[in-house]
Amino acid sequence: MKLIHRLLGIEAQDIDGLSRQILMPVGFALAVLLLWEGVTHVFSIKEVLLPAPSAIWSRLQESLPVLLQHAWPTAWESVAGFLIASVLGIGLAALLSASHTMRSMLYPNVVLFQLIPKIALAPLFIVWLGIGFESRLAFSVFISFFPIVVATLAGLDNVDKSLLRLCRALTASNWQVFASVRLPHALPYVFSGMKIATTFAIIGVIVGEFITSQAGLGYLILFASSQADTALILATITVLCVFGLVFYGLVALAERWTRTRFGA
Amino acid sequence: MNPQPEWLQTRSTADDRGASYLSIQDVNKTYRTRNGDVHAVEHADFDIDEGDFVSLVGPSGCGKSTLMSMIGGLETPTGGRILVGGAPITAPRRDFGYVFQDPTLLPWKSVLDNVLFPIRTQKRVVADYLAEAERLLRLTGLWDFRDKRPAELSGGMRQRVAICRGLINDPRLLMMDEPFSALDAITRDDMNLALAKLWDEVHKTAIFITHSIREAVFLSDRVLVMTARPSRIVADIRIPFARPRIDTMQDEALFSEICAYIRDEIHQAHDKHVSR
Ligand SMILES: Nc1ncnc2c1ncn2[C@@H]1O[C@H](COP(=O)(O)OP(=O)(O)OP(=O)(O)O)[C@@H](O)[C@H]1O
Ligand SMILES: [Mg+2]
Repeated sequence: MKLIHRLLGIEAQDIDGLSRQILMPVGFALAVLLLWEGVTHVFSIKEVLLPAPSAIWSRLQESLPVLLQHAWPTAWESVAGFLIASVLGIGLAALLSASHTMRSMLYPNVVLFQLIPKIALAPLFIVWLGIGFESRLAFSVFISFFPIVVATLAGLDNVDKSLLRLCRALTASNWQVFASVRLPHALPYVFSGMKIATTFAIIGVIVGEFITSQAGLGYLILFASSQADTALILATITVLCVFGLVFYGLVALAERWTRTRFGA
Repeated sequence: MNPQPEWLQTRSTADDRGASYLSIQDVNKTYRTRNGDVHAVEHADFDIDEGDFVSLVGPSGCGKSTLMSMIGGLETPTGGRILVGGAPITAPRRDFGYVFQDPTLLPWKSVLDNVLFPIRTQKRVVADYLAEAERLLRLTGLWDFRDKRPAELSGGMRQRVAICRGLINDPRLLMMDEPFSALDAITRDDMNLALAKLWDEVHKTAIFITHSIREAVFLSDRVLVMTARPSRIVADIRIPFARPRIDTMQDEALFSEICAYIRDEIHQAHDKHVSR
């Protein structure tokens, strides 16, 4: 092994870092897929029960146009839901951190709402907003909004007392304290809330599509299951995973950019 | 009994109280807590002249920080009054500079931006202060680190950044609350030299809080000695060494004599208090 490393001109610790971060998890996942593939063949499991990864892959390739067509509404609704939730969530957190009255009035209720299994409220949104995209979008906003509020507020609150005293000594206004101390300090918290919210936003849309929809990946899953097309279900889920990863990755990129730009 | 050394000042109760730049008149501070009242400061009564570097030394908990916060307008006295140029202090002032025990730098801002932070928050024109920021950072040996983040600096460097920040708006009074107490002994000696050198350049009024008697004597024009609670000022000493202050000053007999005197004052007062 050492010889190979030396021939390739790679330092041992590089290999170690690389293997820990990428090679090991990817290798493990591949091993599981291989095992899965093997098990389905060896025990000749029916495709309706559990299709082999290779079968899912070929189904994915042949249905790609359909999958992409259904991915579009799911994607834009969850991204839009996420963006609206981010604006509202950061806004509400800012309000709660700025106003004592608002905080004592609203925050306990926000926490209480947190505890409700929010999925249970999905049918209500359809009753209120109909079967169009509005109800799915609203539900996606509703469900992804809470992690952002809670994380942002924690970040705005967690500021070092001594920094606040410095601001007071410098006669900084409340707005300046917010903009130049609290908000930059909260940025990492905001982004951790937003990363959680990406998943929640997708869940919101999918649940909406399960209940009522003529399009979208959630609809496709439901449709495929009515046809007992398990390979298509799993192919759709694969697309969903890829979309979720890209979505999360974009937010992580935005975080990197903001943090190098504004620090924190 | 020894004759009083000439560096020991008898406190004036002259009629011209308040003519000095800063006048602390019979100031009290009582914190009301659940476990009863805490008399943090009692009968603080002294004047500070413009241009003096004044140290407050005293045991932990004797109310030094509280006294400084009141002078800085961050706390209000429960009795007495504090006058600056004849006017009572009610709130923090923009012509004061503050340096706290920990550097309290903004971790996401560069050294230069941290130094300029007071300028930005006080909505002054940053461009007017860039030259001053450069001068201060050069004096403290930090200019080459101006683009670094605080996390990339040593503890001593961070505290120097905090001092530059305290001086950036050319304050009439700089308040420093144990700025070097978190540093190791060697770094602390270096910082004392750096601060003495800086003071030869900036000539400002300063209030400097410390537990270290040697540090106080080395840096100050005047040292006020406080005792444990209920705290009083038991000695007021004019340090008879010329500026610029040099390291070897600490080897002189007079330096040790003054330090010993201050130590005795603190201990005597402490013993009296304990045996009461
Ligand atoms: N906000 C507060 N509420 C109640 N008591 C306080 C408060 N701040 C300080 N005290 C009390 O007042 C006394 C003086 O505190 P202070 O911080 O001024 O002392 P200090 O001389 O600066 O001590 P040190 O040298 O350890 O920093 C202490 O007994 C402390 O417990
Ligand atoms: Mg203190």
